[in-house]
Amino acid sequence: MLLEVRDLHVEFHTRDGVAQAVNGVSYGVEAGETLAVLGESGSGKSVTAQAVMGILDMPPGRITGGEVVFRGRDLLRLKEDERRRIRGAEMAMIFQDALSSLNPVLSVGDQLGEMFTVHRGMSRKDARAKAVELMDRVRIPAARERVRQYPHQFSGGMRQRIMIAMALALEPALIIADEPTTALDVTVQAQVMELLAELQREYRMGLILITHDLGVVADVADRIAVMYAGRIVESAPVHDIYKAPAHPYTRGLLDSIPRLDQKGRELYAIKGLPPNLMHIPPGCAFHPRCPLARDVCRTHEPPLYEVSGTRGSACHFWTECLNG
Amino acid sequence: MAETVLEAGNLVKHYPLTRGVVFRKQVGAVKAVDGVDFRLGRGETLGIVGESGCGKSTVAKMLVNLERPTAGSIRYKGEDITRLSGRALKAVRRNIQMVFQDPYTSLNPRMTVGDIIGEPYDIHPEVAPKGDRRRKVQELLDVVGLNPEYINRYPHQFSGGQRQRIGIARGLALRPEVIVADEPVSALDVSVQAQVINLMDRLQSEFDLAYIFIAHDLSIVRHISDRIGVMYLGRIVETGTDTEIYDHPTHPYTQALLSAVPVPDPEARERRERIILSGDVPSPTNIPSGCRFRTRCWKAQERCALEVPALAVPAWFAAGGGPAAHASACHFAAEKHVVP
Repeated sequence: MLLEVRDLHVEFHTRDGVAQAVNGVSYGVEAGETLAVLGESGSGKSVTAQAVMGILDMPPGRITGGEVVFRGRDLLRLKEDERRRIRGAEMAMIFQDALSSLNPVLSVGDQLGEMFTVHRGMSRKDARAKAVELMDRVRIPAARERVRQYPHQFSGGMRQRIMIAMALALEPALIIADEPTTALDVTVQAQVMELLAELQREYRMGLILITHDLGVVADVADRIAVMYAGRIVESAPVHDIYKAPAHPYTRGLLDSIPRLDQKGRELYAIKGLPPNLMHIPPGCAFHPRCPLARDVCRTHEPPLYEVSGTRGSACHFWTECLNG
Repeated sequence: MAETVLEAGNLVKHYPLTRGVVFRKQVGAVKAVDGVDFRLGRGETLGIVGESGCGKSTVAKMLVNLERPTAGSIRYKGEDITRLSGRALKAVRRNIQMVFQDPYTSLNPRMTVGDIIGEPYDIHPEVAPKGDRRRKVQELLDVVGLNPEYINRYPHQFSGGQRQRIGIARGLALRPEVIVADEPVSALDVSVQAQVINLMDRLQSEFDLAYIFIAHDLSIVRHISDRIGVMYLGRIVETGTDTEIYDHPTHPYTQALLSAVPVPDPEARERRERIILSGDVPSPTNIPSGCRFRTRCWKAQERCALEVPALAVPAWFAAGGGPAAHASACHFAAEKHVVP
């Protein structure tokens, strides 16, 4: 296993109280595998990724338990300077909003080159040549000329390619992409996702794709972990989950999206709202919104039951969900 | 077809680009909308799809008179509202209301929900006499599925989905016939989107509303629309019913757009043909000659650079295309099945 997150807990201390953002998340990624972490806003999907990368704002955030084992080492026990050497070189991150993630006053060539001058001790001239090469890799036309330009001179899709180039620069073993195409138009989204998938295959990287889009997941993922209120509620190979979800939340999500290939009747809507992370309901966090909820759901938090060798569901009544 | 309530004829909006401070001169124009025609029947939904920068939001703004068109007409029940002013304009505007995309910035944080939903009555007091307003607002809250007792709360006390309901209630306050909704669900989480779409569906049949539904999400547009217009760089390139557009698209741009939509079905991954367009949308200050899509089109030939294709039913389609014949602005329009 390239990366294994075990029983991770993260909380945020705010003026109004303590928000339980991540409550015992475990997942793993192999080299060359794509794990999609699916969830709505506030599900803890991004916070988990930030804890893995070591870029969580602390305070207000605090990791209160768990391990993040990457290539055999628990990252949470490393010193900050050791983590910094891993970050960028061995694992890298792609963010949703390329415009605010890139430095507006440095040319893209300088920003790409920085990866090589800082981590590899290259000269500025060699680093510039590397930057052009990378821009070619992510198919930015006229890379040699555009390397001098600034982020605002690129379109949204091109900026996201620069983010990808920067993440790939040092050929990391793991890439975490947090909603990499959410801000892009569909035709550009297709270009960028295809590029990312192709580069991943080529370098045999592990990829964690964080998204709320069930369509994107179906297109690229090998496995899915569905998050709700800071927990993983279902984890399965991609084909299984779309064929027959084993958790009512996953089923609700799948039923609530309009389909491109058919004119819809009334959409199924999951009733209610996601919980406030300062007051997560006792028992199963999903029970106030769940059509299958019974007394046991209000009092006992379901463990991740084993559905099959490769599948888990945190629902007391997963068999019922799977069959109906 | 139902009685026409709203009709746009050759609608154009150009924003001038000027240079110089003392001696300003126009050096060009951003052609945001460059000749758009459509008609909307009573109780009907017209979906407008397109990517960012295609001009769909500018169309919305012109329909509710937040922008004045550079040229063209917008007829509400036959009357051109772009030529109206004063009292006549005010009367017409009552009937065309808007729901905005962002439920966070489109509600005034210092006003209570009651004041926000009741504000339209300040402008049109004839709809609700002073003493009757509170009751009317509470009725509206109930209609959009919010607790009428929340009337004195502030926007920040509500979730995104609930705020969008407040925005819809405000849009309904004056009992309009047309609602222009610009990306009304794109800021919402998936599970909440469905609630709001179902609400809009219900309100449409309850109040016989006509919707202009603007969105970039093609699945949602299909779900809610009776007819659809696909926009590219300021123009509608293809228009038809939902089946005509999604199951029988003939314009290469529509085909590329549909084929690029991720479908929540991993089995479709292998059997689906993807049309990946090269490059980006050209700048609206510098629109390509002839067909504006030709710079990204795999079918483009010499003719496309010379002749602007008209939005019309292709001759072969009209002659023997069967029930799916519909208008497409392409010299080489041909059916292609792209939705799995």
